[in-house]
Amino acid sequence: MSHRWGMVVDLDRCTGCEACVVACHAENNIPTVGPAEAARGRAMHWLRVERYWEGEFPDVRLKFRPVLCQQCNAAPCEPVCPTYASHHTEEGLNAQVYNRCIGTRYCANACSYNVRFFNFFNPVWEKPLHLQLNPDVSLREVGVMEKCTFCVQRIKAKTQQVKAENRELKDGELKPACAQSCPATAILFGDLNDPESQVSRLSRSSRGEKLLEELGTLPNITYLKGQAEA
Amino acid sequence: MAARLPAMYGLFEQPEAAQLAFRSLRQAGVAESDITVISSEPFEHFEFSHRDRSLTLFRLAGIGGVLGFIIGVSLTAGTEVAWPINVGNMPILAWWPNLVIIFEMTMLSAILTTVVSLLVTARLPSRAASLYDPEVSDGKILVGVPLRSDRTPDAIRRALDAAGALVVKTAEFQK
Amino acid sequence: MTDSAQKMTEDLLRPLLVTSWRFYVVVLVLFGIVLLGVGAFAYQVDRGIGVWGLNWPVFWAFDITNFVFWIGISHAGTLISAILRLVNAGWRRPVTRCAEVITAFALMIGAMFPIVHLGRPWLFFWLMPYPTERQIWPNFRSPLVWDFFAISTYLTGSLLFLYLPTIPDFALVRDRTTGWRRKVYGALALGWRGTTRQWHRLESAMQIMAIAIIPVAVSVHTIVSFDFSMAIVPMWHSTIFGPYFVAGAIFSGIAALIIAMAALRKFLHLEAYLHPVHFENLGKLLLMMSLLWGYFVFAERLTTWYGNESSEMSVFWATQRGSYAPLYWTMVTVNFIVPVFILSFKKLRTVTGCVIASCGVVAGMWLERFLIIVPTLSHKYLSYSWGSYRPRIPEILLLIATFGAMGLLYVLFSKFVPIISIWELKVGEQPEIEDAEVTRDEASTLWRTNP
Repeated sequence: MSHRWGMVVDLDRCTGCEACVVACHAENNIPTVGPAEAARGRAMHWLRVERYWEGEFPDVRLKFRPVLCQQCNAAPCEPVCPTYASHHTEEGLNAQVYNRCIGTRYCANACSYNVRFFNFFNPVWEKPLHLQLNPDVSLREVGVMEKCTFCVQRIKAKTQQVKAENRELKDGELKPACAQSCPATAILFGDLNDPESQVSRLSRSSRGEKLLEELGTLPNITYLKGQAEA
Repeated sequence: MAARLPAMYGLFEQPEAAQLAFRSLRQAGVAESDITVISSEPFEHFEFSHRDRSLTLFRLAGIGGVLGFIIGVSLTAGTEVAWPINVGNMPILAWWPNLVIIFEMTMLSAILTTVVSLLVTARLPSRAASLYDPEVSDGKILVGVPLRSDRTPDAIRRALDAAGALVVKTAEFQK
Repeated sequence: MTDSAQKMTEDLLRPLLVTSWRFYVVVLVLFGIVLLGVGAFAYQVDRGIGVWGLNWPVFWAFDITNFVFWIGISHAGTLISAILRLVNAGWRRPVTRCAEVITAFALMIGAMFPIVHLGRPWLFFWLMPYPTERQIWPNFRSPLVWDFFAISTYLTGSLLFLYLPTIPDFALVRDRTTGWRRKVYGALALGWRGTTRQWHRLESAMQIMAIAIIPVAVSVHTIVSFDFSMAIVPMWHSTIFGPYFVAGAIFSGIAALIIAMAALRKFLHLEAYLHPVHFENLGKLLLMMSLLWGYFVFAERLTTWYGNESSEMSVFWATQRGSYAPLYWTMVTVNFIVPVFILSFKKLRTVTGCVIASCGVVAGMWLERFLIIVPTLSHKYLSYSWGSYRPRIPEILLLIATFGAMGLLYVLFSKFVPIISIWELKVGEQPEIEDAEVTRDEASTLWRTNP
């Protein structure tokens, strides 16, 4: 059975702890750019937790929203890449092929969610931090765009293992680093082509909505919030 | 090695004089295609300038445009179909964006065809020492005739002088 | 040759044959400025785009501003040369080559930026369609690939459009010089003689090129505008961008032409050939384009303001009242208020007046490109990801170097090629056939062209 990967983020569960951000950095060899570069706006958080204040004192509320690449089915970043570095896979992922990227940065400008990041310099891991690098994920060089891949290395590894074991993928068995590390289980990942999977059911929930849905990008991520309708 | 032919030519100050010389030469029995008129600027309104007009370049440019169109269609549609990649949920054969490329290839081909046709029909670049006199760059107009065995140089000299040539020269040229 | 034609030839060939020490000083200074830019680029290739001021989310700023700006300037030549040629406007003759030269060099400078702005510029050739062992072709749906095709076509067309009518002038210089000059210009002249056949072919070719280059020019800047309008981000995804950019390009092109002509007139002593009436006519064109530009800006902004769509209004207010307001209102002043004022009054539409208005327009059009790119990128939909931008030294050096390069190329060109088309000027001096003094005989009616 072919897969279509999707994600559900429950905003009512998210505590804003940013464990997912750290896990993503660790899993995907995302460099930290240092305080000077971060001050220049060059930080590369494939997954970021957006923080919004609502209301006036004393009724102030804090809202958290993890934003990552929505793996849009009608992605605005894909047609604009001159070298096909950004394209859509058959499993519904927006793939970023580092080797094809020549760094025009058009995809990042076209992305309505600002989830694409550019290697302004060659990333550097001071020893002994180089020992923590994940061997399953390639390192990107200067001038290349990168973004969340739904931990495609884990997807590949797990689906190959499941195929070798001659069985079907169990729902919840495959988790990207962010879903794995969330203490509040706010991030769920699974196969949208399996109607019984959690993400399939929750994406049809009345609590669900897509981010910037009016733009017609057809994201694969559903955000849940508020009360369910009776 | 092309044979060197002698030619006789006169240099004229005014286009009207050149026109007179042209007609005198015609009356002396010289075929129109044998008379060469060379000037440092085009004289559109004079009869000696009438011949050699042709629509060839326009037709060739049109053909070049059609060729470019075909190349544009093949390049875009061919490569898109050869390796179908889904980008942004757009169709594999995306005609709207392809039109841009097709248009540019059409125009580029028409332009290049025009330039190549110009060079070929104007016989440029030309290294052969053809009938010419550097005085033309000073504004003189050259009216000349190749001297073949069946032609009497005196009749030509008379025709040129009668029209008011500043000087009549004979020289040898290739072609 | 008549005396006036003789004088014309001497005046217009003098820059080629006589060189003063001032020429060398100017070339040296401009070359130094260009070298600064080359150094800045080398630094950026070595260290990374990070040496610029770009960041997340402002991924394009000075680089693409410069690109669009210079491609815009390049529309001068096409308008003057091609359109005025097709409508038989005689006053274009002394102006036509100056304009075509601006087009050629502005295009070359602008076309560098798609390479300069790349994260991995050594792979720029992947934009070209050629069969590779990777079996992958460029993505023809991408506006950047359209840019490559459009600019290549326009550059090829413009260079040829510049070169073809220069051939007879190269022949003229060949015949008037000796030594290395004779050889070089002889090669460039391709053995041109000036037979009636050659003149006819050249005129036909120029006619075709003029007809072809106009839609190409319109398409080029439309396609450049598609770099923005194809993205669904606030205030970029607008259908007005195509015509807006083309109008803006012609606008900035005419301004650049006026400045170049004024400089040539002064430094090459061409007062007898570039008359105040030429500046008057171009000034009127500039006025018209300024009004057209104002119309487009008004139409775009009224539509945005009236629609009151929240993400668009963030960008709108950022330019109108927010951090970009000083730049925005400067742009409106130098692009619209000052030129319309100066150019509306005949008394102010002098050479100096036109040059002042033009300098303002050139600055204003650069600002306009910047204000289209950066405010939008820094205010997209999700407000948490809004950002800002400040240029750094390498980008500023590159910008200055582009002006230096334009100046240098122009100065060098006018040193080696007659900057005013001598043969076309002579054709303009030809008397109307009715005025020609001819001896009439019974065959004189043969001289008339058939209508």
